[in-house]
Amino acid sequence: MRLVYGELLKIRTAPRTSLGLVLGLLLLIGVGSASTAHDADSSLPFGNEVGLFDVIRILAIVPVFTLILGILVVTWEYRHGTITQTFLTTPRRERVVAAKDVVSLLAGAALALVALVLALIVASFWIPLDFERAHWELIGRIVFAAAVWGVLGAGLGALMQSQVGAIVTAFVWFLVAEPLLGHTIDALTDVRVGDYFPGNVIDRLVNTDASVEIGSEGIVAGPDYAFGLWAAGFLAVGYAALFAALGLVSALKRDVP
Amino acid sequence: MIEVDHLTKRYGKTIAVNDLSFKVTPSRITGFLGPNGAGKTTTLKAILGLVHPTSGTTRLLGKVYRDLDDPLHRVGAVLETSRYHPGRSGRNHLRVVAAQAGIPRSRVQEVLELVAMKEPAKRRVGGYSMGMRQRLGLAAALLGDPELLVLDEPANGLDPAGIRWLRDLLRSLASQGRTILISSHVLAEIEQIADEVVIIHRGRFVAQSTTHDLAERAAGAVRVRSPEAARLRELLAGTGMRVAETDEGALTVSDGTAERVGELAAANGIILHELATERATLEEAFLELTAGETTE
Repeated sequence: MRLVYGELLKIRTAPRTSLGLVLGLLLLIGVGSASTAHDADSSLPFGNEVGLFDVIRILAIVPVFTLILGILVVTWEYRHGTITQTFLTTPRRERVVAAKDVVSLLAGAALALVALVLALIVASFWIPLDFERAHWELIGRIVFAAAVWGVLGAGLGALMQSQVGAIVTAFVWFLVAEPLLGHTIDALTDVRVGDYFPGNVIDRLVNTDASVEIGSEGIVAGPDYAFGLWAAGFLAVGYAALFAALGLVSALKRDVP
Repeated sequence: MIEVDHLTKRYGKTIAVNDLSFKVTPSRITGFLGPNGAGKTTTLKAILGLVHPTSGTTRLLGKVYRDLDDPLHRVGAVLETSRYHPGRSGRNHLRVVAAQAGIPRSRVQEVLELVAMKEPAKRRVGGYSMGMRQRLGLAAALLGDPELLVLDEPANGLDPAGIRWLRDLLRSLASQGRTILISSHVLAEIEQIADEVVIIHRGRFVAQSTTHDLAERAAGAVRVRSPEAARLRELLAGTGMRVAETDEGALTVSDGTAERVGELAAANGIILHELATERATLEEAFLELTAGETTE
């Protein structure tokens, strides 16, 4: 418990990086929700509901930020060399890694909630906030994805230890390697392997695809996914657990530079 | 107190530490000496559980570092590579360490006073001098009021006043019965505070002795100046010492001590204007010690 508290204290007392990341995200969310809500035409049938959906869907970007936050929580210790003091204080490294995973999970969920509150406050100037069940479900999925991707980031950070390396790897994978690999494999085989890659799994969870259609009943039609939401949730947790495990092994085995 | 037993650490083809064994006695200051690159930091990191030995074991207080409960309450360490998050203040750095070690926050203020860092601690570490960083490292090491201190080159970056302050601090800590292992590549620094020294070279054990014995072994030539240099030279050469004339009226005597030269001069009524033992550099001491080792 005191390790988790210490990790939170670390984030709070090293303001520049974390604050920059959070402010950048909130600015993005604020502007995005303002323009989306402003465009929602309440004269159309379901106009307000759709507007609210679109506002919430902006939050689908949050997991990207929590992934980076998770990477930072681990790698800035290696970057600044404070990992030496951390492991001197707590030589049982698995406890340190676990505390960082927990903190990344909590920080990820908290970031999603803060972003949500901000988006709703901004949107409330233009559209009424009439929540339906489908809205809450989407919010839940986004917060869940943000928390899980925080852990994935912490795992990747512990695995690679290099801050730049981990962030570049994440971006190259999600923006280049995954789509390229997915399409290639899909084109060559009948199995839709690409759908099971982490980027698509998280897309499935937060429904960022523009072709998703929304009505008063929530999402009525979308792209044809290979698996359901529950499966996507389990897959996301599986990926996070896999990287958390790899990160743990890396932290245990490697010498402190 | 600290036991290093057949410790070997390889990095690829390089052997940083090679079958090193030594023990550190409790309640004393032990100097850990070796030139740069001798493997001192690697050894200390292995003792502190930061580096996994390729083979061999290290123990502190009878246990592997990893198995110590609340290690900061037992062992305080400052490593040469002690680094900090530049955006965090010195005080916040200590607060983070204290929080994770379960040490009350009030202790942070105490150690800051102990290392005379009360004012700078409010500022961000990014703007600290090397000496301030060393002091902050010492403050972190002292947080848990440990019985054992492991310090890697703590005098690096300190100005002469700072080195004097460090010496006084370490002496007072040792007088409270604490055990201190302090590494350095500067012999003079260690000589003044350590009771005992362990010397390593190229990752291997060279010698362990009291500081007094080492100082004698490392003593270099005797420099003597006399108006009767020529007569003195003959007398000294007659006893088997090697003598060279370095200047007008000045001799350098090897294989002898200042005591013997002085006694011989007095017995023969020769006036001396100068009689001094020239300190051998650490490198010379090493050469002497390693040479001695190979011939044994």
